[in-house]
Amino acid sequence: MKKFLTIIKAFWQRALTYRFTVIAYRIGEMGEIVVLILMWTAIYGTQEVIKGFTLPEMITYILAGNLFHVMVRNFLSTVVAGDIKEGQLSMFLIKPMSYFSYILAREIGRISLATILSVISQFIVISFFLNVFIWNFDSVYLLVIFIMLVLAFVTELLLSYLVGLIAFWTDEVDGLYRTIERVEKFFSGGYFPLSILPAGFVNASFLLPFAYSFYVPAQLYLKKIDLATGLKGILVQLAWIVLLYGLVRVVWERGLRKYEGIGI
Amino acid sequence: MATIEVKNLSKSYEYYKKERGLFGSFKSFLFREKLYAEAVKEISFSINEGELVGFLGPNGAGKTTTLKMLSGILYPTAGEVKVLGFTPSKREKAYQKQFALVMGQKNQLLRDLPAIETFVLNKEIYEMPDDEFKRNLDELIELFEIKDILDIQVRKLSLGQRMKCELVAALLHKPKVLFLDEPTIGLDVVAQKKIRDFIKKYNQEKKTAIILTSHYMEDIRELCRRVIIINLGKIIYDGNLEDLIRKYAPHKVLTVTFNEGGASREQIEKYGEIAEYNPYGCVIKTPRSEAKNTAVALLSSDLPVDDILIDEVEIDDVVRQIFNR
Repeated sequence: MKKFLTIIKAFWQRALTYRFTVIAYRIGEMGEIVVLILMWTAIYGTQEVIKGFTLPEMITYILAGNLFHVMVRNFLSTVVAGDIKEGQLSMFLIKPMSYFSYILAREIGRISLATILSVISQFIVISFFLNVFIWNFDSVYLLVIFIMLVLAFVTELLLSYLVGLIAFWTDEVDGLYRTIERVEKFFSGGYFPLSILPAGFVNASFLLPFAYSFYVPAQLYLKKIDLATGLKGILVQLAWIVLLYGLVRVVWERGLRKYEGIGI
Repeated sequence: MATIEVKNLSKSYEYYKKERGLFGSFKSFLFREKLYAEAVKEISFSINEGELVGFLGPNGAGKTTTLKMLSGILYPTAGEVKVLGFTPSKREKAYQKQFALVMGQKNQLLRDLPAIETFVLNKEIYEMPDDEFKRNLDELIELFEIKDILDIQVRKLSLGQRMKCELVAALLHKPKVLFLDEPTIGLDVVAQKKIRDFIKKYNQEKKTAIILTSHYMEDIRELCRRVIIINLGKIIYDGNLEDLIRKYAPHKVLTVTFNEGGASREQIEKYGEIAEYNPYGCVIKTPRSEAKNTAVALLSSDLPVDDILIDEVEIDDVVRQIFNR
């Protein structure tokens, strides 16, 4: 455990050295959300309800969803792919600590500062829309959302790690990574709530891991999804975690046999 | 039992061939020809405790590939490796805590933080007790004289300073086996010497088995009694450095200095093969057994000889000769 903390601390320090970058990113993040809200406000115009959403609900969906999303996301794929491509992985392979544990601690250390600042900036955006933001203090719902987000964090980590490992075969994963990112954003409900599309999309998204980092917790927050569906979702998440973990193990083992430690 | 035992070790890489030009790139985008390159071919050697062995060979000879297999980074294609009784490719923690690999062209230090942070990180990763860590660190800091640069961001350090810190990071856990892959690459003469002195001292004090690769012959000459020469993935020499010189350099070199009016080429030619010439000094190659007699002959001739130095041929030349055969 102390290993973890030391690594996390070291990468906190690193992040603090680059405070400008960390803060610069947040400005873009906040801007994007404001744009989305402006767009929906324009679309609603004089309409009260669109596809079951009132304007305040839609705005809350965007704000809450993005808040949840920044809590669970990570940028592991590029880090892992970079280590493999540049041969830096070699330096970890000779150490008495598994690369996965190391990279996990490193990523937590690396993004935690950004995450904290993102959460703060999300709250800043929310504070501008206090008059329309819908509050939900139902502790049972919040607990389910919390568990879902923890599991979503794990799922996202495994998924990104897996995508990063593909670099063993292809050297570069940027293209694939961007594609997955877009598919993920769509199925997570990050562009718009999936329920405005035919029911098939929502059903499909319940079976995929992505919706649990945006759409499902946001809808739970709005109580547009009941607790039973939420709990079922948690089971789906657990199944994905087991599946992804198994895949990670297999891909890692096979990848290492392929690894050439290029550039050393 | 030997510390390092290598038997019939081979490694081949897969790679793709791309035809030249843009069209070739399009073609290989659709279809790629898979080829195999044998980087190491059935090499065998063994190294004992406390031995410091130099690995020599041109770029791409297979030196680094061998070191990577010894460290467990690469799976061997065939053959067997045992280091301290472990099989490196299994990557057992017990083995990893007992060796270190330092590469002149790759670093383990966190670039954006001061070196001390990497040291602390390694302490946790190698699970070292506090007092042991402190003792080792203090010792290494003193040995390398890096006290003043500990708190400076690694990327702001000079290459020499960084290399020192790299070595410290690798040695904190007191490895019993050390692989050094071009540790002095790119360093200035003074820094090279410092690193060299340190390696020598460390090897003598700790009885660490060390494999060193370097393109600087000075490193090899000063540090290694035994050398293994690899070319095209095969060992072509394994033995004493002095024997190597005796075997492959049948000549000695006489450096003669003249005073007064100097000497003409014709006057010197009869004493041996002239390697370098100007009227006030020349370098003559003579057969090993003839060296002394030639020197005497030169001194007793009527040439205005000021000084004569008898030397071995440079190792560079010897190695170059071996590779060119």
